[in-house]
Amino acid sequence: MAASMRLLLRRVIRLSHRYNNVTAAGVSARSGCCWGPSTCRCFSDVAGDRSTHFGFETVPETEKAKRVYKVFENVAQKYDTMNDVMSLGIHRLWKDMLLHAMHPQPGARLLDVAGGTGDISFRFLEYVRSQQERQKRRTVRSMQTPSSQDISNNYFTEDEDTSQESRAVVCDINKEMLNVGRKRADSMGISAGLSWVVGNAEELPFDDDQFDIYTIAFGIRNVTHIDQALQEALRVLKPGGRFMCLEFSKVTNPVLARIYDAYSFQMIPVLGEVIAGDWKSYQYLVESIRKFPDQEEFKHMIEDAGFYCVTYNNLTSGVVALHSGFKL
Amino acid sequence: MGNVLRDLRPLVAAPAATKPQCSSLSRSFHRATLRLQDDSKSDKPPSSSSTTYHEHYQAHSAEQDTAAAAQEDSTSDPAADQASRPNTSYQDQGGEQGEEYETEEQLQARILTAALEFVPQHGWSMEAIAIGAETLGLSSASTGMFYNGAGDLVLHFLAQCNSQLTDILAEQHNQVQLGQAERKKTADFLRDAVETRLRMLIPYIESWPQAMSILLLPHNIPDSLKHLSTLVDDIWYYAGDRSTDMNWYTKRAALTGIYNTTELVMLQDSSPDFQDTWNFLDNRIQDVVNMATTTKQVECLHQIALRRNKGVKR
Repeated sequence: MAASMRLLLRRVIRLSHRYNNVTAAGVSARSGCCWGPSTCRCFSDVAGDRSTHFGFETVPETEKAKRVYKVFENVAQKYDTMNDVMSLGIHRLWKDMLLHAMHPQPGARLLDVAGGTGDISFRFLEYVRSQQERQKRRTVRSMQTPSSQDISNNYFTEDEDTSQESRAVVCDINKEMLNVGRKRADSMGISAGLSWVVGNAEELPFDDDQFDIYTIAFGIRNVTHIDQALQEALRVLKPGGRFMCLEFSKVTNPVLARIYDAYSFQMIPVLGEVIAGDWKSYQYLVESIRKFPDQEEFKHMIEDAGFYCVTYNNLTSGVVALHSGFKL
Repeated sequence: MGNVLRDLRPLVAAPAATKPQCSSLSRSFHRATLRLQDDSKSDKPPSSSSTTYHEHYQAHSAEQDTAAAAQEDSTSDPAADQASRPNTSYQDQGGEQGEEYETEEQLQARILTAALEFVPQHGWSMEAIAIGAETLGLSSASTGMFYNGAGDLVLHFLAQCNSQLTDILAEQHNQVQLGQAERKKTADFLRDAVETRLRMLIPYIESWPQAMSILLLPHNIPDSLKHLSTLVDDIWYYAGDRSTDMNWYTKRAALTGIYNTTELVMLQDSSPDFQDTWNFLDNRIQDVVNMATTTKQVECLHQIALRRNKGVKR
């Protein structure tokens, strides 16, 4: 028992030495890369094959999607546990705040892209159901002394309720994540109004003008062409529909930024190795967070895609940003 | 020959590099012209009723109003950077092919106006706004634009009523100027103005207590006080008040008191056509007029007494 623990510790230390060098290089490269990517891409365009970032690595664009797929295939089983451990459970608060900001009305249709294990969709369905309950209670209270007119009206309105059903569609590129999500749904007993679809955020398998709300929580930084994903979001939303994106972003406070960086690069891959047995995937996770554009830049990208009234809120002082835009 | 061609190439390349800057400049000009076009061609948006306060002491003209409103809106509006972005997708949706591009505030105002229809049934709430948006062909998710929720709806209604009242009073003023109507006495004018304004509440009188409670929420108090003060100021302006001393404050305080108390009486009035409320209003205005005359009488008596005393002393 003690021997196996020692072995594990030694393995962890060895891996941390190896990857610390990478991170040191990565951190210094990060500042260089931040204003460099456009020029890098220009040169590779001339060379004939475009490349993009995969964490701090540079890979051909065609390969990034495959490598992201592999990462999530590996982490799918322990995804929820790792989320809780890495964010100390705060990711639940972030997702709750997304729902609170969304404030969905009864009958709304949600498309949860990169929804994976279904966190957002479950919360959405619960929110709408509790709102409908509250509505019913309110109408019952106001109907304490119903007139005959009210009673006859009630007979007609009962049929309309079925069309008011809210529906959530979980779309993910990775079948493993969807399988985990489906198992969770079954164990929680949520099945009505939920569908699971395999699809690529850059090429959604849906018609135009289908959904009221489009959410993408902690998924858009893994997309190879973010602007294409935004275009697709615009396409599948109904007029007046809302785009909401929850994503890791730049911490505003410099002191907190240092602590956050230290925590990200020192702790998270270690936790990944210890709990999920996968250092590299979690190294990719923290690196991809650093490569993602900051709040203002992402807001401009959303506006360029054609959304209006684009705003963002920083959660946990910039660790996570909630962007919102409307298709008007 | 070759030299000339080579020299031209950098010139051709340079505009490409500066194009982003030029496009942003041209976009801002386009934006400015669109705004002025919007405001001059569309109806005066209800939010500009607050700017009429500042224009009272200048000559009234439609162009000035809209130009000032455009300036004020663009400086105070947080979403000004997208305010005049061409709204092509929505424009085609509504079948409004020939109309100007619509700004976001105009769209929000239209949604709220449409939502007012559903207030008697659903109260002053996000549900009413959602159904209003759906009647315009927009998804119910667009209610997310209204961060203040029901407060936005109530404040929009207030602004709308106030601007309607201002229009009516301006029309009456014009008629008096043209000699087509008699000039009313101050007391009658105030009475009619307050009655006209309160009659606008009649369709929503059932749910008005809910609206008043929303207006009393701390984050709504500044806005509701602003609307009330501009309302009272508008009424006194059209009543002919040009005072520049303490009277300015006392007159507005008195009218605010009259308006608020009459509104509260109206909420509990069940007489036909709110006759009790109008009687109450009459009595309150009479009180204020009486108070004004008694203060004048007291001052006169005071002057007489002073003169008598001086006489005795000599």
